[in-house]
Amino acid sequence: MKPVHILLLGIVLALLALPSFLTPGLVNAAIQMLIAALFASAYYLLCGQAGMLSFGHAAYFGMGAFATIHAMNAIGGTGLLPTPLMPLAGAIGGGAFGFFAGYFSTKRTGTYFAMITLAIAELVHALAPHLKALFGGEAGVSATRMPAWGFTFGSTNEVYYLTLAWVALCLTLLYLYTRTPLGRLTLGLRENTHRLRFLGYNTHGLAICVFVVSAMFSGVAGGLLVVSNEAANYVLFDAHLSASVVLNTYIGGVRVFLGPILGASLMTFFGYAVSDLTQSWLLYQGALFVLVMMYMPNGLAGLFGQIGQWRSRFGLAALIPFVLLALGAGLLVGGGGAFAIEMLQRFLSQDYQALASANAAGTWPPIRLFKHDWSPAAPGTWLVPATLLTAGAGLAVLARQWLRRLVQREESNRAAAEASVPGDAA
Amino acid sequence: MDWLLVSVMNGVVYGLLLFMVSAGLTLIFGMMGVLNFAHASFYMLGAYFAFSLQARIGFWGAILVAPIIVGAVGVVVERYFLRRVHQYGHAHELLLTFGLSFMIAELVKLFYGNYPVNYRIPGSLDFAAFAVGGLDYPAYRVLMGGVAMAMFVLIYLLLTRTRVGIIVRSAIYKPRMAEALGHNVPLVFMGVFGVGAALAGLAGAVAGAFYTTNPNMALELGVMVFVVVVVGGLGSLGGAMLASILIGTITSLSVGIDASLSDLFALFGARQWAEGVGGLLTLKVSSTAGTIPFALMLLILLVRPHGLLGEKG
Amino acid sequence: MSDAILTLRGLKKSFGDIEIIRGVDLDLLGGERHALIGPNGAGKSTIFHLISGNIAPTAGEIMFAGKQIGGAQPQAINHLGISRSFQITNIFPRLTTFENLRLAVMRAHGLQYNFWRLVDNNRRVREQTERLLEMVRLQARADSIAGEMSYSEQRSLEIAMTLASDPRVILLDEPMAGMSRDETEYTSNLIREVTKGRALMIVEHDMDVVFSLSERVSVLVYGQVIATGTPEEIRRNASVKEAYLGEEVAA
Ligand SMILES: Nc1ncnc2c1ncn2[C@@H]1O[C@H](COP(=O)(O)OP(=O)(O)OP(=O)(O)O)[C@@H](O)[C@H]1O
Ligand SMILES: [Mg+2]
Repeated sequence: MKPVHILLLGIVLALLALPSFLTPGLVNAAIQMLIAALFASAYYLLCGQAGMLSFGHAAYFGMGAFATIHAMNAIGGTGLLPTPLMPLAGAIGGGAFGFFAGYFSTKRTGTYFAMITLAIAELVHALAPHLKALFGGEAGVSATRMPAWGFTFGSTNEVYYLTLAWVALCLTLLYLYTRTPLGRLTLGLRENTHRLRFLGYNTHGLAICVFVVSAMFSGVAGGLLVVSNEAANYVLFDAHLSASVVLNTYIGGVRVFLGPILGASLMTFFGYAVSDLTQSWLLYQGALFVLVMMYMPNGLAGLFGQIGQWRSRFGLAALIPFVLLALGAGLLVGGGGAFAIEMLQRFLSQDYQALASANAAGTWPPIRLFKHDWSPAAPGTWLVPATLLTAGAGLAVLARQWLRRLVQREESNRAAAEASVPGDAA
Repeated sequence: MDWLLVSVMNGVVYGLLLFMVSAGLTLIFGMMGVLNFAHASFYMLGAYFAFSLQARIGFWGAILVAPIIVGAVGVVVERYFLRRVHQYGHAHELLLTFGLSFMIAELVKLFYGNYPVNYRIPGSLDFAAFAVGGLDYPAYRVLMGGVAMAMFVLIYLLLTRTRVGIIVRSAIYKPRMAEALGHNVPLVFMGVFGVGAALAGLAGAVAGAFYTTNPNMALELGVMVFVVVVVGGLGSLGGAMLASILIGTITSLSVGIDASLSDLFALFGARQWAEGVGGLLTLKVSSTAGTIPFALMLLILLVRPHGLLGEKG
Repeated sequence: MSDAILTLRGLKKSFGDIEIIRGVDLDLLGGERHALIGPNGAGKSTIFHLISGNIAPTAGEIMFAGKQIGGAQPQAINHLGISRSFQITNIFPRLTTFENLRLAVMRAHGLQYNFWRLVDNNRRVREQTERLLEMVRLQARADSIAGEMSYSEQRSLEIAMTLASDPRVILLDEPMAGMSRDETEYTSNLIREVTKGRALMIVEHDMDVVFSLSERVSVLVYGQVIATGTPEEIRRNASVKEAYLGEEVAA
C-alpha cells in the first residue's frame, strides 16, 4: 500500500468512529463538512479539471435540494424513494437543471462562461420566491425523513452515517471519473479546446457533459443537506453559497483531487468553530482566499506539496527554521488582523454606538475583547494589532530571506560540484 | 402614453448609469484582458464614500471627492494585487478580483452595517424638472442622465483628441508596440484602471443617493453589468451602450406591465389551461421585471452567441 | 495514381478588406504526396485553415470525396477523414506526452462520451498510443509533460497526434521546422512511410525535403497558385524560379 492509501484508510476509519466521540452538535457540524466537501469536489470537476469557472453553482445545489424535498413529500409524505436513496432525486434535479444551464453557458468559454453562470444563478434566485408551488415562497418547504430499511433516521448519528456513505460513494465515483475517457477529455478541454476540435471532438457536447456531471453531484450534495435538515428554502440559491464553494475550492487548491475536499472541510469546520466568537467570519474567509490567491496559487494542498519538495531539496534540518518563521509570521499576522477586525466590529456595532451616544459626551466606554477591557480612545489599544502585524511582516521577510539563502547555497554547491569534475569545467 | 414616455425616460437614465459602469469594465477588459469582478464594488464604494463625505463637505463636494478616492483604491488594486498575480493567467486574475469584491462587501458590512444607509439626495435637488401629463419628473433623474452623458463626451474627447488618449489606445490595441516605442505601459494600465474605477465610483456616488445604498448593491448591479456585457459583446463600447439602454428600458417598461403569460395564452383561448398550470404562466410581468434581462441574455446566446455588436472568435 | 480526393475551386478568403487567398484551384489526388510551397505570407497556412474548417471561405468551394466541406465544423471535417497539424505547435501543454497522444487516439475508438470504463484498461487504445510514440521516437518521453519537452520533440508529438485518427488525407504544416538535420531526415522517411495509401499535403520550407518527398508540387504566391507539377517541372519552371526559388535552385 502506498502512503496515500494508508492515509485514506485512516481517514475513513476515523470518520466511521467519529460519532462515538462527539456531541450531537459536532456530529451535525461533521455532516455539514461532508456535504461541503462533496459540493467542492463536484465544483472542482468543472473549474479545476475542465477549466470552466462557474460563479453560480448554488443553482445546481439548490435544484438538487428542492428535487429531494419534493421527492420526500411525494405520495402523501411517504416519499418517492426510500430515505437512503433520496439524494438520487437530488442528482436528477441538479443534473436536469445543469443540462439546461450548461447548454447555454457552454456556448461561450472563459470569461463569458463565468458571467453567464453567474447570471443564470441570479435568474433562479430572483425567480424562486415568486414560484410558490415549487420553492415554497419565503417560508420554504419542509418534509420528514421516513424510516426505511430497518433504520428510523431519527437520530443525528444515523443521518451522519447516511451522509458519510453517500459522500464516500460520490467522491469515489468522482475520482474514478477522472480515469475514464470522458474524464481525460475533461482535462483536454481545459488545456486546449481548440486542438480537441481538430482531433474530431464535439467540444460543446463535451463541455455540456462535464457540466451535467458536476451539476449532478452538486445536486446530490444539496439533496443530502435536505435529508439532514428536512427543509429547503429559496435562500439556498443565494450568491453566498456560490461564492463560498469557489472560495473553499481554491483555498484548498485545484491542482490535486484532494485539495478542494480539504479546503471545504477545513473552512466549514472553522466556520462552525468560530460562529460564536465572531460575526465577521465571511470577511476572514474572503481575506484568506485573497491571501491564498496572491501568495500560494496552488492552495493549501499545493503548499504541502511545495514543502515536501523543499524538504527533499534542502533537507529537513535546513527547512525547519523557515517553517517556524513562516508559521510565526502567519500566527502574528492572523492574530493582529483578527484583533483589529474584532475590535472594529465591536466598536462600530449599533449597540456600542448607541451606548456611546447615551453616555456622557466625549467618553467611550471600554470594549471587552479576549477577556480584557480595551478603551477605543487609548492609542495603546490600537498599538496591539499594529505591533502584531508589524512583527508578523518582519518574520515573513526573515522567512523569505532564509529561503533565498537556501536556494543560493544550493546553487553555489552545485557550481562547486561542477567545477570539481575534471574536464567538465574546461 | 405618458406612462410609456416616463418609463422610457427612466429606463434610459438607468441604462446610462449601467453604461457608466460597463464602459469602465469594457475598457479595462479590452486593455488587460481581465474581467474585473470587483468593478461593481467600486460603484458601491463610490456610494458609501459619498455618503460619509456628504455630512462633512456637502453633497457636491462628496460627489467630486468620492470618485477620486475610489480611483485611488482602483490604482492600489491594480498595482499591488492584480499585477502580482498576472503571471498566473487571466482566470487567476478574475478569481482574485472575485475575492476582492467579496471582501469589499464584507468590509462595507463591517463599517456601515448590513442594512441600507440613509444616503439621500439633498433637498435642494429634490424638485420636478418638468411634468409629463400631470406627472412630475424628478430633476435628479435628469441630472443623473446628464452626468453620465457629460462623462462619455469627456472620455471620448480624451481618448480621441489628446496625446495621452492616443497612447492609451495604442497600449490597449498593441501593448508590445507601445512598450517598444518607450511608453510606460504598466503606468497606462494603472491609470486606465484607476479612471475606470473612478467612473464606477462616480456612478455610485450619484446613483446611490437616488436608489438605495446597501451592501448588496454591488452584486445586484454587477450581475446586470455582466448581462449588459454579454448582450452587447465584451470589448465593444458601442455594444455596451446599446445593451445598457436596451436593458434599462426593458426593465423599466416591464415594471409597469400588469399582465402575465396567461394573458398571452388567452389570445389563443387557453387562459383557463394556463391558469390551471400556474407557476411561471401566471406570474405578473411586473413582479419579475428583474429577471427579464436574464431572459434576454439567454435569448441572445441562442441567436447571436457573440453579442449584438461583438465580433466572432 | 487515382482521381482527386480533395478539390479546391475558386477559393477565396478575405480578412477585412484584404484578400489573402485570391482564387485558388488545386487538386489533391488520392494517395499522392503533394507539397505546397511559397514565400512567407503567401497564404499556405490559411489554405490549411480553410480546408480543416478553422475558418470559412469567403467564396469558392472545397470538395472532399464529392462533398462540399467549405465552412463546416472542424470536428465534422475530421470525421470525414481529414487530419491536420499546426505550424505553431498546438498540443495539451500540461498533460504528459502519452496523455496527449491518447486523447488523439481515443476518438477513433468512439470513446468521446464514455464515462463507465477506465481508460487505462483499454488495451487497444494503449497499444496504439504506444505504437505511435515509438514511431515518432518519443517512447522515452512518454511520461514527460508535453509543454516542457524540446521544440523538435513537440513537433514530433504534433505529427503523431495528426496520424492518430487513421485519416485519408493528412495536412502537415511545416512539420520539420526547428528539427536538426538528423531528425529532419528521420521524419521525412517517417512521413513517406506512414502516408502510404493516404493523400498528403505538406507545407515545407526545406527544399531538399520538398523535392525528395513529394510527387507533385504546387507553388503559392500572394494568394494564387502559379504552378503545379512534378518536382522536375517545378525546378525548371521559369516563373517559379523568378517568383520564389530565386538563386537557390540556380546555384
Ligand atoms: N486571422 C487573420 N487576420 C488577418 N490577416 C491574417 C489572418 N491570418 C493570416 N493573415 C494574413 O494572411 C497572410 C497569409 O498568412 P499565412 O499564415 O497563410 O501565410 P503562410 O503562407 O503560411 O506563411 P508562412 O510561411 O510564414 O507560414 C499573412 O499576410 C497574414 O498576415
Ligand atoms: Mg504558414
